[in-house]
Amino acid sequence: MDMDVIAGAVLLMGGAGILLGVVIALFARFFKTPSDARVDLVLELLPGANCGGCGKAGCADFARSVVSGENPPSRCPVSSVEQVNAIAMALGITAGTQGRKRAVVRCGGDTLQVADKVNYNGVADCVTASLVTGGPKGCRYGCLGLGSCVNVCPFGAIEIVNNLALVHRELCVGCGKCVDVCPRGVISLVNAEAEVHVYCNSPEKAPEKRKVCKVGCIGCRKCAKYAPDKFTIEGFLASVNYEAQVLPVREDLDNIKCPTGALLSAEEHHYIEKHNPAWEKSEK
Amino acid sequence: MKYLELTVGAALVYNFVLTRFLGICPFLGVSRQLSTAMGMSGAVVFVMTVASFCTSCIYNYLLKFTLRGKSIDLTFLQVLVFILVIAALVQVIEIVMQKATPGLYQALGIYLPLITTNCAVLGAATLNFNANRSILDATIFGCFSGIGFAIALLLFASLREKLELASPPKAFQGIPIGLITAGILAMAFVGFSGLC
Amino acid sequence: MNRLKSFKGGIHPEYDGKSLTCERASVDTPLLEKYYVLLAENAGRPPLPCVAKGDKVKKYQLIAEHDGFVSADLHAPTSGEVTGIVKISGPLGIPADAIEIAADGYDHGDAPFDILENWQSEESALLMERIRAAGIVGMGGAAFPSHVKLTVPPGKKVDTLIINGAECEPFLTADHRMMVEYPQKVVTGAAIMGKILNVSNVIIGVEENKLDAVTALTQQGSELNVKVETLRVRYPQGSEKQLIFALTERVVPSGGLPADAGCVVQNAASAAAVYDAVLLGIPLVERIVTVTGDVVKNPGNFRMKIGTPLMEGIKWAGGVTEEPGKLILGGPMMGLAQRSFNVPVTKNTSGILLLSVGQALNFSDSPCIRCGRCVGACPMKLEPCLLCSFVEGGRFDLARKGHVMDCLECGACAYVCPSHRPLVQQFRRAKSELRKKK
Repeated sequence: MDMDVIAGAVLLMGGAGILLGVVIALFARFFKTPSDARVDLVLELLPGANCGGCGKAGCADFARSVVSGENPPSRCPVSSVEQVNAIAMALGITAGTQGRKRAVVRCGGDTLQVADKVNYNGVADCVTASLVTGGPKGCRYGCLGLGSCVNVCPFGAIEIVNNLALVHRELCVGCGKCVDVCPRGVISLVNAEAEVHVYCNSPEKAPEKRKVCKVGCIGCRKCAKYAPDKFTIEGFLASVNYEAQVLPVREDLDNIKCPTGALLSAEEHHYIEKHNPAWEKSEK
Repeated sequence: MKYLELTVGAALVYNFVLTRFLGICPFLGVSRQLSTAMGMSGAVVFVMTVASFCTSCIYNYLLKFTLRGKSIDLTFLQVLVFILVIAALVQVIEIVMQKATPGLYQALGIYLPLITTNCAVLGAATLNFNANRSILDATIFGCFSGIGFAIALLLFASLREKLELASPPKAFQGIPIGLITAGILAMAFVGFSGLC
Repeated sequence: MNRLKSFKGGIHPEYDGKSLTCERASVDTPLLEKYYVLLAENAGRPPLPCVAKGDKVKKYQLIAEHDGFVSADLHAPTSGEVTGIVKISGPLGIPADAIEIAADGYDHGDAPFDILENWQSEESALLMERIRAAGIVGMGGAAFPSHVKLTVPPGKKVDTLIINGAECEPFLTADHRMMVEYPQKVVTGAAIMGKILNVSNVIIGVEENKLDAVTALTQQGSELNVKVETLRVRYPQGSEKQLIFALTERVVPSGGLPADAGCVVQNAASAAAVYDAVLLGIPLVERIVTVTGDVVKNPGNFRMKIGTPLMEGIKWAGGVTEEPGKLILGGPMMGLAQRSFNVPVTKNTSGILLLSVGQALNFSDSPCIRCGRCVGACPMKLEPCLLCSFVEGGRFDLARKGHVMDCLECGACAYVCPSHRPLVQQFRRAKSELRKKK
């Protein structure tokens, strides 16, 4: 190999490298964009689902709001406690104490429990269907079961079984997209620790409810009598007091013996027809 | 006739994406929305033109020169030098874009740095090299190759916007139906063969 | 022969069901025990009740007072006792407040307003106030208060009053009977409204399938300088924008009001109600309702008091011959399907329609075949097939660009669609979604 060729190659590559490096450096200097390394750091620690559950446009937006102090890291509904703490540690701030939430469909009325009032054969979408005489379900407040929430859930945590939306607890992160889309307002975000929920959303009078639904809460107060601090009753509708110090657990249900089966654990909600005493009775 | 081949030939007949199958990555990656596809097209046209010009200059003046009465041939370095130049160009564009159009910068995301290793850009430079083109010809070729890429990308992006609203069978949703569309588009471009 | 006037697009159903009832003269209905006068009857804000439980009311007495400008008064349909303000099932399928009146059986009450015999020399403002006080609303469609329509927005110039006698909805013949039986009321009412607007050009547009009404109206109209125009049978000719185009060839701009085209449109039945208010001194408490459908035993036209439950209307028509498949308030194209027989008749109830299971067939929709028939049928010149795919894909922004907000929800597109796609329902979704965002 000719020494000149080697020298030329070294000169060419070295010269080009140095020259281009200088050019880039100059450009980088003149077109400098201020960027916050902390934002990138937080963004890296976030799950990157871009679900919008925090109320921001996406994870990048949320990262900026965390750095600026607008939101605590715990505002992210998807991150686990460890992830939230990691962010807080990285920034040297407190994680915040917002408890984790989970969606619960406050309705137990699938096709076996609630009769459809009208024969609906339009667009299979809850929001669209609710524009036609308020929706096809016999109960005006129950889950329509046409799956608008399934379509918006970014985590695939909702499933429709027998015209009733069921939330898979292990998949739900509590981003609240389903809550926003549900035209009936039957889904709500509650304390993720809660095991037991009242699966009824209808404020109507008990006889009216019984006419259309076998599993509607009739406001009998059995649960409130058993544990006044764990349940609240408004009119004919009981609800779990999610603010309570001690949340009701599965064992409480055996003592309460809810006569309609509106009070269930989340697992039982998935097999509602099997766990409903009222339904069993009417079968016999 | 030569210029017809350099322009129409580069843009349509030997379209980089649909006939030569170069630059498929951004073709599939940034064709979700017409607006980002437009930004990407603009960036590619610019990079390809400037890269063709620069590489052609290097090829014509720097890779073959006479030193102390001896002619030195450094063409074996072409790929290395071209990559270096293209990478630097893209870096510069990225820096400028981040400042001037942060929205587009965000939308293009990873695909902007990917132009660095885009085979279409390197392909244009290498093709110029192989065809032994002059600086002017090489620049024209680079520019129209970029335009050809832009045509293909914009066509595909507008088709994909329509595909978003269509309801193909589940197995075909998303990328699969996009690839089928791209194939049909490529077949359509075969119709240009023989134009020049 | 001159081609009759009409608009572009639209449809003409082969079987329009009008022959069931168009020869049936309207008949009086017996007094019921209870009436339910819905509060949220008119478009705009619902009126505020001014009677309480236990109050004795006379017929024509004011029972709910307008709340704001776009709101209409309500009057007692009969004499009796107010038994409460109750929640009943409303026409939209959601519970609505209604004043329950238990009739005392006498049905007595004096005309509450003085009779303006010489209306031609009265002040416009006085006549306008009378129309407002009589609670008159658009009796064909949206129940928009008439006095609001007659108030021309500042800066707009109106030179034409159009009386809508098209009644393009299949099956309905209530307006038809009104025009045949009371042509003098319709024409005089039209002339009174013409006086209020100070326009000389008053046109009644009637479709060709109601030639007896045309004859009757023309006879009465010549005296009061009210023109009667025969229109080609075409649905949805009764829609404001289409009727304006058919009669004047003017186009109401997108999102605009009829006043932008120099027109005001009023329903024929509303014109008759104006006559009652001005020359008889009585408010609007009664209307002609067509009870029809292929399962109704004796379809016909009935003069029903506002607040009559639908069930009673069906009973007067002899009940049904078989299990009905669908109950619709209004016509088959734009009417509202009902889930309860207890919904009361409102001021804009032009018909009670019972379709058999066969006619209300459970259509199942299939994918769009892009035939473009809906594009030809759309009277607003929209592209329903495209809009539908936008809505299905959740792209409401594109739907807005495609002018989905101009959709009349007339249903012409869904009617002609060979795939039976629920187009109108999708557009309603898009409209409600876009309204929310605003």
